[in-house]
Amino acid sequence: MEVPVISAKNLAISYETRKGDIRAVRDVSFDIFKGETLGLVGESGCGKSTVAFGLVNYLGRNGKVASGDIVFQGESLVGKSENELRKLRGNKISMVYQDPMTSLNPVMRVGEQMNEVLTTHQNMSREDARARCITMLKRVYMPVPEAVLERYPHQISGGQQQRIVIAMALLNNPALLIMDEPTTALDVTIEAAVLDLIADLRRDIDTAILFISHNLGVVARVCERVGVMYAGELVELASVGEIFANPRHPYTQGLLRAIPRLGSDKATSMLHPIRGRVPAPSALPPGCVFEPRCDHAKPACSVNRQIMREIPDVIGSANLTALGTSKSHKVRCELAEQLDPKDFLSTGDASLMTAPLTSPEFPEMVLDVDMLRTHYRSGGNALLGAFGLGKQNNVKAVDGVSFQLPRGKSLGVVGESGSGKSTLVKTIIGLEDMTGGSARFMSFSLDKNARHRDIGLVKELQMVFQNPDATLNPAYSVGRQIERPLRRFKIVPPAEVRGEVTRLLHAVKLDDSYYDRLPRQLSGGEKQRIGIARAFAGRPDLVLADEPVSALDVSVQAAVLNLLLGIQKEHGTTMIFIAHDLSVVRFFCDYIAVMYCGQIMEIGPAEAIYSPPNHPYTESLLAAVPIPDPSIAQSRIRLDGSVPSPLNPPSGCRFHTRCPRRGLVPNNRCETDVPEWQTSGVGHRISCHIPVAQLSELK
Amino acid sequence: MVNAQSVPFTRPARESKLRAALGNLIGSPAAVVGLALVLFWIIMALGADDLLVRPDCWAASSDCTTTPLLARYDAQQSFRGQVLKPPSAEHWIGTDRQARDIWARTVYGSRIVLLLAPISVIVALLVGGSLGLMAGYFGGWVDEVVMRILDAMIGIPSILLYLVILAALGPSPLTIVLAVTVTGAPGIAKLVRSLTLDIKTRDYIAAAQTRGESPWYIMFVEILPNARGPILIDAMLRMGYAVFAMGTLGFLGLGLPPPSPDWGSIVNAGRAQLLGGHPWGALAGSIATATLVLGLNLLADGLQEQLNRYR
Repeated sequence: MEVPVISAKNLAISYETRKGDIRAVRDVSFDIFKGETLGLVGESGCGKSTVAFGLVNYLGRNGKVASGDIVFQGESLVGKSENELRKLRGNKISMVYQDPMTSLNPVMRVGEQMNEVLTTHQNMSREDARARCITMLKRVYMPVPEAVLERYPHQISGGQQQRIVIAMALLNNPALLIMDEPTTALDVTIEAAVLDLIADLRRDIDTAILFISHNLGVVARVCERVGVMYAGELVELASVGEIFANPRHPYTQGLLRAIPRLGSDKATSMLHPIRGRVPAPSALPPGCVFEPRCDHAKPACSVNRQIMREIPDVIGSANLTALGTSKSHKVRCELAEQLDPKDFLSTGDASLMTAPLTSPEFPEMVLDVDMLRTHYRSGGNALLGAFGLGKQNNVKAVDGVSFQLPRGKSLGVVGESGSGKSTLVKTIIGLEDMTGGSARFMSFSLDKNARHRDIGLVKELQMVFQNPDATLNPAYSVGRQIERPLRRFKIVPPAEVRGEVTRLLHAVKLDDSYYDRLPRQLSGGEKQRIGIARAFAGRPDLVLADEPVSALDVSVQAAVLNLLLGIQKEHGTTMIFIAHDLSVVRFFCDYIAVMYCGQIMEIGPAEAIYSPPNHPYTESLLAAVPIPDPSIAQSRIRLDGSVPSPLNPPSGCRFHTRCPRRGLVPNNRCETDVPEWQTSGVGHRISCHIPVAQLSELK
Repeated sequence: MVNAQSVPFTRPARESKLRAALGNLIGSPAAVVGLALVLFWIIMALGADDLLVRPDCWAASSDCTTTPLLARYDAQQSFRGQVLKPPSAEHWIGTDRQARDIWARTVYGSRIVLLLAPISVIVALLVGGSLGLMAGYFGGWVDEVVMRILDAMIGIPSILLYLVILAALGPSPLTIVLAVTVTGAPGIAKLVRSLTLDIKTRDYIAAAQTRGESPWYIMFVEILPNARGPILIDAMLRMGYAVFAMGTLGFLGLGLPPPSPDWGSIVNAGRAQLLGGHPWGALAGSIATATLVLGLNLLADGLQEQLNRYR
């Protein structure tokens, strides 16, 4: 049997705090062999990154390996001096972090930074180093690597930056590469390209990779084996096929149940959140760490600590053994054999499911947006600008958007960052001033800023925000923040405000004790619930949700989505829902608009958007979604670069600079002519020069 | 209810939170020293005479002219034949040229300092804070106009500003407050503006805007409470500057008119005797100023530490 590149043996890592030592990671064991990729998944706070930092003993001043061993290429790393470890980290172990912008030094040219790696650690001459950098950049598919070496990081797009970081990590031919959420900060299209790169590299080089991610879809795409972490313990470890087809630990099953599948919608399926939250490492349950949240827990579970044990592997795969990988399936649950993995495929409780979309003959349109434009003045001097002087340059954040939305339905808005989704929503609600076109809510014009709107109109439009940490004012208690809209819009008489707040808290599934709490005492999911309660307090007719779940862990995300669906159903609220996760939008929305560079490329009923004919942009977005199921093959369409600057949008069709289907249109019409709207089915419109019939045949 | 909230959670009561904060403050040695120094002067100021200790004496009759408690003597009382005496059991840090007890003057001086410094800082906070909030929140030309005017004020040396204001309005407690306000407000405005610029991008501000709240509500109710930490620390430091400023004014003879025992005047009065081998007046005023300013600075440091810990 081959020696693993790195193996963790009963690793425990603790941090010294003022309240004593806290064991952030306990009893973690795994091996990674040459050329193998091990994925670590789990919610935030489960110790994934701590394990990664622990492997290279980079735990900061208060962290230490409390017990267990780390063996790297046959040598124990525990107890090595700082100097030896530093050498090792430079030469044999590389790390790639989440945000490429913070991994690269902004004041050094890319070439210098890459050279430094080689000249410091290998005494290579500058010329050799340069040559090697260029080969490595070619390897990560960097166009014109020579030119890239002369640039500063800010002159390169985010996806390219991450390629450079990966190339840098590979320069020294490391034996172990640790990637900590390498694509989390990237847009879905760029993420797909970077994941392809990682998958390709994995095939070419024999480096062992530890890949950390919270996203099961991402892990399914690049890893051979997957370890699931929960509250500082590894709870399940198996091959990627096994984990997704035959998950045995209730936590793994719960995670898989909690994410919407691409193509599933609220009419046919529902999400199953995991109740509760990850316990703090200082307050672990005495028995099985997952017991308080487990639906299968027996009384014994709260007493017995669970151990990792091997169970028979159902799927297994022959090519894994060839790599010297043990194909064992390990799980930390004594009930593992009794749990039916098929359970997690159930469609579950039907009470929340909504009826499939039926289009009445003449639906009442609540929102009517026509050729809406929001331009910002950019550059120029504020003082000169104040007197109407100075150069004016318009950022065309939203540039001619039209749609209608019937009562009680949800419109999902998707697109990469920089496509104008948020600006569109902010303009409708009156946080930004519209510069052209019109928007009407029922019979009221929305052309004024929220401050100057009639309070009756203000009350009807409310918003749910993205960032749970910023959505609530840290200075005030939860109750006070929900009260404010009640008092301001005079929803209930002053004497009944307290009761109404309690009712709203119950509606978002929180109890009365939350009334007096301050936002910093709440978890992300709880804050987001309060944000929802506050938005619905005024009983609005239209709620705009700007990525309400994207900052939450999957299990919590499911709960918040269910909650929003329930409240929407109860009040018949119309919603606009922004998200970058296409599976979530598909699940939540009746209609979907795909935005690119300030314009809508395609709009229509949700099910129509997810099947051909599609706009080429929609097609690329769909191809990029990481699907948490390794057995599904996706089409491989990848977009280069990023959304063009809205200061100077491309002529003709805005998407022509990146369009993979551009060759299908003769005479360069994409560059010169703005495409007409084509209809395909009821309410489904596509803005493309390629005829609908031809688009439906594309595969 | 089975949900995320089943995890037990006890909200600490207000008093115990206060105790915890105080406990943390005491955990920082710098803050303890600072607090001790500031408290020392506060106690001296309060207990200089009978004001707090024997209030009934003040209320009941006027014949109750006892000796002042902590100051031992009245600040203006002259002792026959006791001109320029060195420290003794009778006069702890000696007497000045007018045969007044320097200790008594210093202690009474602390009253003036500890009254005028906070008042002037609070006024400066009100003015500078409001200007900073408006400049930061409204932005655009409001920002430009307000900040350029304040920049111009910062451009003038503060001593020059004091001279101009005091020369124009004459020395009085009110003028001193005005002078300190005028020199302190621009700095406070800049601080509050930068905090406002940061806080106004948070989603809860957008949420308030989507409720159609007035800009004043958003500025003072939504933004200001979240800026209080840095403002409080800045105010502590500014209190120190104000004590210095008042010392400077008194020393230059621009402070309160002569019989006043403020620390700057004590130093000024003692200056002439420095070379004559009688440094006690100058020393008392200087050390008093230094200890109070040091105390305030240490306290600000301690607070800063605490705020960073909770961030």
